[in-house]
Amino acid sequence: MLGRSGPTPIKVERRFPLDLHKSALAIRQLYETAKVERWSPEKDIQWESFDATAHEPGARAAARRVWSRRAWIEYTGLAETPALVIRFCLERDREADPKYFLTVRNTEEAWHLECFHRYAEACGGYIERPDNAQWEPLFNQSLYRDALDAELGIDGYVFTHCAFVDGLECELTRAWRDNARDPVARAILDRCLVDRQRHAEFGWLYAQRRAAMLDDVQRAEVVSALVGHIEHVEFAGYSCVGLATVLDATAEIADLAVVAQAGLGGISADAEVELFADHLAESRVRLADLGVMLPLMHHARLGAV
Amino acid sequence: MTTVATTTSPTILDIPEARFPVRLGVENRRIRDLFHTATRLQWNPATDIDWDELHPEQYSQAQREAARMYWSRRAWSEYGAISESPALQIRFCHERCPPDMALFFSIRSQEESRHAEVCYRMAEALGGYFEQPAAVAYQGSVATHGIRKIALDPEVSLEGTIAALVCAAEEIAFDVFRHIIEIATNPVARQIARMILRDETRHCAFGWAFLEQRMPQLSPAQKDVVRGAVVNMIEKVELNGYHSSWLAPDSPAARAEERVDNVTWEAGLGATTEALEKPVFLRSIVAMRQRMHDDWGIDIPLFTHPKIATPF
Repeated sequence: MLGRSGPTPIKVERRFPLDLHKSALAIRQLYETAKVERWSPEKDIQWESFDATAHEPGARAAARRVWSRRAWIEYTGLAETPALVIRFCLERDREADPKYFLTVRNTEEAWHLECFHRYAEACGGYIERPDNAQWEPLFNQSLYRDALDAELGIDGYVFTHCAFVDGLECELTRAWRDNARDPVARAILDRCLVDRQRHAEFGWLYAQRRAAMLDDVQRAEVVSALVGHIEHVEFAGYSCVGLATVLDATAEIADLAVVAQAGLGGISADAEVELFADHLAESRVRLADLGVMLPLMHHARLGAV
Repeated sequence: MTTVATTTSPTILDIPEARFPVRLGVENRRIRDLFHTATRLQWNPATDIDWDELHPEQYSQAQREAARMYWSRRAWSEYGAISESPALQIRFCHERCPPDMALFFSIRSQEESRHAEVCYRMAEALGGYFEQPAAVAYQGSVATHGIRKIALDPEVSLEGTIAALVCAAEEIAFDVFRHIIEIATNPVARQIARMILRDETRHCAFGWAFLEQRMPQLSPAQKDVVRGAVVNMIEKVELNGYHSSWLAPDSPAARAEERVDNVTWEAGLGATTEALEKPVFLRSIVAMRQRMHDDWGIDIPLFTHPKIATPF
């Protein structure tokens, strides 16, 4: 966790007995489905059909920035998911199913990352960092450390990042896809959406599985993890730049408007904020069903959400 | 309240993330190609193995029992790569290595899941997977190769870790798998070994491709660290029986595991024996030593083991 003075504590593994039987059947089914629905960014996306000349230079420039930013977000999974796999292995008596599933999730994240990078390249060139360096700390969350930190409960992590955040990414992807007219952007987002639906389903299934086992202290930790992430990361504009109030997101908001208008795989910043608010409201209901009461939070512009 | 054991050694986790610039272009073409090849050649243990060809009823109870234990042990070994090797991917991101490496490792870990799954399914099909060795004393040989701790330790050379894990340990495992394909008679055992071997080909190639790029940039002292890591992996892990039961320290438990291998081999269900594997193992060490000398300019010393008559 940020602010720690000493080394990050990591749990010690007890390897045996090693249970590899199916126990979380719905999650095992997600793993089986993911193996069957495997795809290839090289083979399954018709990259050659992208016609750069069909789009105004301004639209292409906005798209390369929007898709580059998506790549920076997706990059998180390259270190975070391996950490989460390890954490599941370090926890006593955790099922094999989520471990298997997460290894497939990580491959899918790598495919998304390659696609986002390649699409940004096609639009004029991938950009390696934000124009405004003030955005950078928001991406440098060290989630891989939080996933392995023995002092942070894995349940709070799963509720927050696997259920809430992956659910948000899924809904955003669906909206981007629905508004994409460019066939390559649409094909990429089609593939991503199928994967991300599984990722979000995994998060909620595992949250549901764990919910009944949580005591009051652990529930409070889950709420704290969710609130901390939403207030400090999402409200700062990480997933939806339209939520930013401290950082200047004028340029990013303008880019989204152009990309949405051009059909290059985006929606307006306002539409993203609306989608976020809906997702938060729906998640609050789902969490309450699991006995996790997410309080209203204060956003500087939206007020209580 | 249960006290949970933790380690509190300094690790790369203690250093704040600094991901920018996020480089995503091709920086190591060979490794990027391995990632794409792996994407094309994915397979599914549930559907791509002809399980109907196993015919466990054709084997005696003793043979099925031994083979169950053998394939369970293989599953434990593959599981180690799920539980530990992903730490290397964190290290690649942390050190901002060529992006091809983390991309490739994302699918490598999935392949390790497939390997654990297929070995587990084989044990189940033979009568049931075992969750642990029959004797606690044998756990020390198969519990861990220690890669997670090493990968997260900022003081341990990444080049040495890859050289030890991939170019040494995985090369040996590769040669032994190829040997098992040659001697197993059961079609399912052979098919499983072939599918795993196909993935392992890429796993090994990754290590050499990475070090081909890195070794010319290392100082003599850094190369000596690589050499030490390889020697340590061979002496402390491989010669302790991590992959081959006959190399484990002599004990009633180790002898029992060897009997398991012998019975499984006799049945043609996938294992090998000390007599058959020893020359394969020795040739693997010789080939590895030669390649490390030729490609990297480092000299791996001779090793000794109580079950091998002369230094090798």
